[in-house]
Amino acid sequence: MSGPRSLEVVQRWFQAVVSHPDGVEGGAVSPDAQELIRLDRGQLEAVVRRSRNLTASERLSIYANAYYSRLLECLGACFPILKQALGDEVFDSFAFEYLQRYPSRSYTLDHLGQHFPKFLDETRPEPEEGSEPGGVDWPDFLIDLATFEWTIAKVFDGPGVEGRTLLTPEALQAFPAERFADAHLVPVPCLTLLAFRFPVNAYYTAARHAEEGKEVPIPAPANEWVAVTRREFVVRRYPLSPPQHALLTEILAGSTVGEAIAAAAEASDLDDESLAVELRAWFRFWVAEEFFLSVA
Amino acid sequence: MKPPRLGHDNLGLGVGLRSVHFDYILKNQPEVDWFEIISENFIDSQGRPRYVLQQIAERYPVVMHGVSLSIGSSDPLDIEYLKKLKRLAREVDAKWISDHLCWTGVLGRNTHDLLPVPFTEETLRHVVERVRVVQDVLERPFVLENPSSYITFQDSTMDEWEFVSRMAEEADCGLLLDVNNVYVSSFNHDMDPDQFIRSLPHERIVQFHLAGHTDYTTHLIDTHDNHVIDPVWDLYRTAHQLTGGVSTLLEWDANIPPFPVVHEEVLKAKRFMGEQLTAPEETAEESPVLAGAGSSVPHPLHHIRPEVD
Repeated sequence: MSGPRSLEVVQRWFQAVVSHPDGVEGGAVSPDAQELIRLDRGQLEAVVRRSRNLTASERLSIYANAYYSRLLECLGACFPILKQALGDEVFDSFAFEYLQRYPSRSYTLDHLGQHFPKFLDETRPEPEEGSEPGGVDWPDFLIDLATFEWTIAKVFDGPGVEGRTLLTPEALQAFPAERFADAHLVPVPCLTLLAFRFPVNAYYTAARHAEEGKEVPIPAPANEWVAVTRREFVVRRYPLSPPQHALLTEILAGSTVGEAIAAAAEASDLDDESLAVELRAWFRFWVAEEFFLSVA
Repeated sequence: MKPPRLGHDNLGLGVGLRSVHFDYILKNQPEVDWFEIISENFIDSQGRPRYVLQQIAERYPVVMHGVSLSIGSSDPLDIEYLKKLKRLAREVDAKWISDHLCWTGVLGRNTHDLLPVPFTEETLRHVVERVRVVQDVLERPFVLENPSSYITFQDSTMDEWEFVSRMAEEADCGLLLDVNNVYVSSFNHDMDPDQFIRSLPHERIVQFHLAGHTDYTTHLIDTHDNHVIDPVWDLYRTAHQLTGGVSTLLEWDANIPPFPVVHEEVLKAKRFMGEQLTAPEETAEESPVLAGAGSSVPHPLHHIRPEVD
């Protein structure tokens, strides 16, 4: 060997070896590693010293095992209900493949799962023969549930309004009725709306309350709309009806209250009078639950 | 001649802040000398972790400890990350900022592990230059820790203690001496831990870490999941004598017991601050483990779970 290898070469080689899906021996003979340091099988001690007790391969395997153990554990913590739904083994096999395709590029483990819903979508199996083209299938359940859990994580540690002055029921009551239709309700920054093909919010609740070891069956497909927000630093979930979802979607898009109500009416089967009663109740409830910063 | 601890305060006996203890600390305001936080858990937080930290920083001295600086990487330094560290340090009035003598990834990737560097002249020049940049950006005392390691490189031309000593002198930075890491690495690399500690520039040691590890017979792994073992306490006694005493912190990251157990563990350090004192009698008491706090992987693993209604 002629002189020490450069730090860059050693580090790129080391990373290729300890993060290789086939383990250290497979990593060392992989093209990525061989391009940097050409070694035959069993020659790892040309780079890494053995100790009194362990070979170079055994020592490197401590890092290789730790790499996957740590990140699989972290992904499991990011998606606990999805892991519960899939079982440890299946979840870990998805997560293992995910880490090959989307290795962490962030300084924080908080970002580790950000591409996981997309990954599940990208790698979904072909629809089963005879299934309806464009229809809803079980992979959609996994994608929806992953999306839901990732949203919860983002809302938990993202921007919130704790300690700020918000729209109160009294202030809403006092707002001139004749100006309400043209007014804008400003939503809190943590308010997030979701539309699912499977009832994953209901599933999430059932799975969290299930006795340990008791399986919660995957539900049949059904549209579900949910608002996720944060109050007093705790993530809150609100099932929404289609008109509620339509209304809040418009408000989040910056539409006037009148435009939002029109969207709700479009999505509702109720007559105008019944809808008006409902709308008053919804606004009161959402204001009390701190959905809005202000009205203007 | 540098003053002891490079002139920084001896904060006393502190505990690593972990999210499973948030409620206990806020409610009970325990008589802890200081807390060390994992920087990455808070630099982006706009939720409860950040809120809790603010409360704690108003009551206790805080030190920031990072796991993603990657000072030894051949990738460029992440200046945006450094700016975030600097901002948080200002907001919580961090006494100093620390990270590890390691690299965490290259080619833009982060393995989230504390990977070992080859101890060569090239690595030394590279690390020293980057420490200077980090200090310039942070404008706050910067301290580097010796990590636990499980391999050594054929290319290394010096011992770890020589590398650490020269790095600290040439970059003019502080050292965080992790006594447990000295023990773990020394076992794994057939080194003498006592020589390691005696060979360092003691006036540059600003802080100690203590932790438990896992013994796999052929090697040790730095799991931070148990009590500190007696041989590590013995090394701590030596380090205490050589430095005259510096801020001491206990890390407990997996199988985390209730806060009073963790606090009690670091208070044991008082028994090793006098030469005449011997090891405590109890060594392997069972501690209850907090639900959700378990882990079987080597340090570091830091992820705060959301609270959901």
